[in-house]
Amino acid sequence: MKSIAGKVLFTAISVLYPLIVYCGLEFWGLSPRRLSLLLLSLAFFHFLNFTHNSSKLDRLRMAVLIALVLVCAVIAFFADNILFVKFYPVLVNLSLLVFFGFTLWRTPSFAFRMAMLGNKNLINSPSLKSVERYCNKVTLAWCVFFVVNTSISTTTVFIGSDKVWSLYNGLISYILVGIFFTVEFGIRKMVQSKMQSYVPVCDLEQDSRPDGALVAEGKTWGDFVSDVSKVRYYLEARENTPWILHCEDSYFFTVSLLAMLQSGRKALVTANRQDAFIKEIKKPEYGFLTDEPFTGDIAGMPATMIQDVLVSENAHCSDGDNSREIKFGKFDKTKAEMVMYTSGTTGEPKAVFKLFMQFENELFELVKVFGNDWVDRKVFSTVNHHHIYGLLFTALLPIATGLPFRRHRIDFPTELANIAGEAAVVASSPAFLKRLAAEADKPIDFKCPPIIYSSGGPLPVEVAQKASELVGYWPMEIYGSTETGGIAYRQSKNGAVWKPFEVCKMSVAENGCLNIKSSYILEAEGFTTGDLVDLYDDGRFLLKGRSDSIVKIEEKRISLPEVENRLKQTGLVQDVRVVPMVGKRQYLAAAIVLNEAGREKFAGLPKLAINNYFHDYLLQFIENTVSPKKWRYLEELPQNTEGKIRMRDIQALFNLPESPNFKILKFRREPGALTAKLLFPATSDYYDGHFPEFKLLPAVAQVDMVLRLARNFLDVPKKLSKIHRTKFASPILPDVPVMLKVSYNADAAKVTFSFTSMPDAQGNEKMHSSGSFTMNPEESLG
Amino acid sequence: MSDLNNRIKDVIIESLELEDITPDDIVDSAPIFGKNEKGEGLGLDSIDALELGIAIKEKFGVTFSTVKEETKKHFASVDALAAYISEHSKG
Repeated sequence: MKSIAGKVLFTAISVLYPLIVYCGLEFWGLSPRRLSLLLLSLAFFHFLNFTHNSSKLDRLRMAVLIALVLVCAVIAFFADNILFVKFYPVLVNLSLLVFFGFTLWRTPSFAFRMAMLGNKNLINSPSLKSVERYCNKVTLAWCVFFVVNTSISTTTVFIGSDKVWSLYNGLISYILVGIFFTVEFGIRKMVQSKMQSYVPVCDLEQDSRPDGALVAEGKTWGDFVSDVSKVRYYLEARENTPWILHCEDSYFFTVSLLAMLQSGRKALVTANRQDAFIKEIKKPEYGFLTDEPFTGDIAGMPATMIQDVLVSENAHCSDGDNSREIKFGKFDKTKAEMVMYTSGTTGEPKAVFKLFMQFENELFELVKVFGNDWVDRKVFSTVNHHHIYGLLFTALLPIATGLPFRRHRIDFPTELANIAGEAAVVASSPAFLKRLAAEADKPIDFKCPPIIYSSGGPLPVEVAQKASELVGYWPMEIYGSTETGGIAYRQSKNGAVWKPFEVCKMSVAENGCLNIKSSYILEAEGFTTGDLVDLYDDGRFLLKGRSDSIVKIEEKRISLPEVENRLKQTGLVQDVRVVPMVGKRQYLAAAIVLNEAGREKFAGLPKLAINNYFHDYLLQFIENTVSPKKWRYLEELPQNTEGKIRMRDIQALFNLPESPNFKILKFRREPGALTAKLLFPATSDYYDGHFPEFKLLPAVAQVDMVLRLARNFLDVPKKLSKIHRTKFASPILPDVPVMLKVSYNADAAKVTFSFTSMPDAQGNEKMHSSGSFTMNPEESLG
Repeated sequence: MSDLNNRIKDVIIESLELEDITPDDIVDSAPIFGKNEKGEGLGLDSIDALELGIAIKEKFGVTFSTVKEETKKHFASVDALAAYISEHSKG
């Protein structure tokens, strides 16, 4: 039908049909036969509309409708029967039901088609999937509505009076449609306001969010834009050089990073700000932006404090240059460069080059999968934002989605109780959750359960369960690495299998390890991890341990996780690492943390008895040759600052022969520094003659201990050239644990140490002794 | 005799770099390799056997038969080893 007048007439007759029929019968004295002509004309109008309907199946639907209307009209005409005249509204309802139902089957659903027409940007939004799900529900609701409406309409045809039929089909039915539409529209607006207001980081502009929107404590979007602008003025007034970035405060970090990206400055993001490391990565022309004073001696430009930049650029502004325009806006994500440093689980930390595009693609994916859970929450972190997982979850995601974040890390599990009143997203790690599970004794009463993510290593299922009992949410684990970004996710209550992010294409490399190709990996051949994998057809997978976790001991292959799992099976072990060692022969060695049951069981027994217990247990499952030959029982396994347990730290522990004279209860090794909790038993030879009545650890034994540990863990030269400035403040007593801190400055060949008591409840330590030695790096005498 | 037993125990601990074991922990009559039904024994493996064989040869100047079963018998316990050494040593 071409003319507008025709369309209006058709619609008017169609809508007013029940009223016209009623008036015809009641007031104008028309017979059903005459009224059937009206029905006939409607069939004709439908027929004229026919060609406009594009899809084949839709044309079929219209053809059926027209045929049925015709049949009704013809019967009504010949039988002069009003019943068939009254069928028209039923048929229209049925036809609409078929139409809506059909789009549910042949997606996209009708409501989703409308939504797509209404918002052209929707197709590129990470929320697309959830919008579609919602629209499908709406379409289904319409179907239900038409079923009900058709039934009522049919009932009025058969049992109602003409008046009731006319009233329902000509008025009530329309009102119901109106109410239904209004309610759905209202709900849709509510849902839409809850959808993430996601903006890609590279597309952020000053007006992307309202000025007053909260970014972090005490900082609004307006402050954020202005601070980024100040840092940009600072950066852009200087030569275009790469900048090293380290800020403990997440707000300063995010401001600095965004300023570097927007100004086109390459950002080297490092968690490690020790002198030696900064010196290693910093070329003379590089800048160094940080939020804590840096005392290290670095060549070229000294470190820049971001606080100074924000103040001085501000002052500059108030000098009269108030009109200085805000520098804040889009940048090219395919050109913005970054460098990240791996945490070195398996080797030395290494630099990984990144284009911002990689992060942007991953953010999109994360918002798509998790975004809906985050609405109206605040982001908290227990991890370091200088590493990829922290960077994405606690710095970039809040900025991209407009969620506020806390500026300072949660360091202690006890702090979680302080945020119980907040609706929180917490980016956490196995290390933190393990401590939470071990320390918390009663559930934390959260106003609404926080959403907890865990990444950086596998989260033992019992820890996940304990955490869920404590906080009400089973942690969502993210599997990924600096090189690959996020690969997959799981909640271990649903099994150990990982579900990959949609953009990740999985395959198994020749060595049995997982290979990933995705839009956030630059290399076309993808990246092959060191993780052995069982890959299912649908892309989901099980991790089978690291490829370097399969070792050969005297020609016999053994999987280290297998031995570890067997030891855990005893029910006496809280944590364990088994490492391969090479001495006169190859053997395995096990570092074990006993759990409460284990401590109870072995209380008072000699170490040999504990060794034998585990050895005998293992022999039920594995050969003697691959059963661990050496054992250490610690209070906790050594972790680096990212909470990762490194094989080489455990191996270093075993390189130091076991002695009855001292016990290492726990230790932590960082570059050039060692902290160890030690105990000198009363039976130790060190006390011989010193003094029989009142045993004290002699100075010579203390010095010997320092040198022994320094040589073993810090690669300190064998030969001592000078002992200086050594103070002995208070005695070290038998069976009382002490803390030894040793650091080694290789350039000066200087070892510095202190023995202190364990911190008391207030965190105070008492000094036992301290001092320093100079070593002789010439090891010619061997 | 018991002096020889102690020397053998020292050789075992030293040559195999055993940790957490003193000569007193080694039962003279208990198996060196594997364990007996009472759960006594050092539980050493076949790689240790090769190592220990060489060490005993060096320290006590005795040689062992190439017949595996016989050698196994001599290494049954510290007592058995001491008996074999005192019988075959040149001294």
